[in-house]
Amino acid sequence: MDQKTDIEVPAKLGDEIGGAGKAYFNDVVIDNILDALLELSAAVWTYHDRVNVLETVLAEKGIEVSDAIEAHLPDQAEIARREEERAALVQRVFGSFVRRPTARGNSINPSPATGDEQ
Amino acid sequence: MNRGAIGVTPRPTQLADESYLEFITSFRRLAIQEMFPKVAEHGEVALAKALENGDVAAPNEGDAISLGEIRKVFGQNPVTPTFQRFVRTQQEMMWRRTRESFYRDIDNVMAEMDEAETAHPERIHIDPEFVEPDYTRREIHCQPGGYTDDPMGGIVFHYGTKVFYEGFNDQDELHIELAEKATKPADGVVNNVLDIGCSIGQATTTLKKLYPEAEVWGLDVGKPLIRYAHARALAHGEEVHFKQGLAEESGFADGQFDMVLSYILFHEVPVAKMKEIIAETYRVLRPGGTFSIYEFPSNDKNQVSASHRFLIDYDSKNNCEPYSPGFVAADFRGIIEEAGFEVEQGPLLTNPFLQSLVARKPA
Repeated sequence: MDQKTDIEVPAKLGDEIGGAGKAYFNDVVIDNILDALLELSAAVWTYHDRVNVLETVLAEKGIEVSDAIEAHLPDQAEIARREEERAALVQRVFGSFVRRPTARGNSINPSPATGDEQ
Repeated sequence: MNRGAIGVTPRPTQLADESYLEFITSFRRLAIQEMFPKVAEHGEVALAKALENGDVAAPNEGDAISLGEIRKVFGQNPVTPTFQRFVRTQQEMMWRRTRESFYRDIDNVMAEMDEAETAHPERIHIDPEFVEPDYTRREIHCQPGGYTDDPMGGIVFHYGTKVFYEGFNDQDELHIELAEKATKPADGVVNNVLDIGCSIGQATTTLKKLYPEAEVWGLDVGKPLIRYAHARALAHGEEVHFKQGLAEESGFADGQFDMVLSYILFHEVPVAKMKEIIAETYRVLRPGGTFSIYEFPSNDKNQVSASHRFLIDYDSKNNCEPYSPGFVAADFRGIIEEAGFEVEQGPLLTNPFLQSLVARKPA
């Protein structure tokens, strides 16, 4: 549909999700590792699910692809695209270490809250 | 981009979004249904021991143990912060990805709501001069923009709550139960029905199916929710009125309604507003009318366990529920009675966490 909206779309996430975040352990690295674990698990499932669907769709069409996948060599454009996607995965999985890089009370970065300060 | 619907729930715009969000749903089930009971069991046992050996002072007769003591004892178990971390993180992941997914289809989603407004402007009531009070503009449940400030808030809320309900409300099952169990007036006359804090109108639309001859209204402060509710009701072929407004200042006539329903509204407003909403509901109900209330538990008689108080306290601070501690501590039933209602236990729900009350306006 070509119709464009004239409503201003909030580009940013709100303070709750877009802010410095919460920490629940004295050692914030544990918070970060657990975040990473969740993102990583979600990513693993997402890719697994896609391969499931892909194989099902191909099988429905009578196409056997396993050998072709192993034999495939990417060109430069595909290499660049895959690199970009891989970097995005790294960001998603390890982004929490960037978001909360210090222990609570360290002044280098906004200090994550525990939720109990109110 | 539009991948259709899962029955009555919109489908994420890409398979990768759907897989990711389904993973979160499965993870959330584990955290809430399997992990929290362990945290609760460990905490209750530790608290009992702490009371027994004097590490925690026993409260005076009739007083509750302080939340600070509960937090301290429960926090000694390292699995407690792990649970807290997991629940907060899955909530953030859920909103980010849900929003990202449906924003890809923003032009179509907005156009559908615009077209619904154009097709049936007589059933959507939005006053352009209406200003949402500050207390309503919170990012409840951490939803970016909350109920009021994200034009895509309706569809984002719909899929987000699908994950929140762990897949058990995909086809509005829970809202159908609420509407079916809403109590009718003793004389059985139901010509006008109101759903306050109706959000995207899941119970409202069901009420219309149950009472097809009645005029059914949904009222909510969130314009994005009301617009989505209106479009959804139209898509379902139900003639329901939706109005953006305040439940404490609804603008309806005295005695206009035979039945009013509210579902988990009151813990999302300050106690002072709760009292105003109850008084306003009394005003708009006709004598003999009924008010069906499904809500968070109240701890006015110390009937809520330490582990549930711990969970509600955590939820308040970490899932942006700023008003729920005030609600839980308030004498909810007493406040309803003070407004003039006769209050009784309502029908039990599948979800045992919620309280169910029926308030009748004397005939």
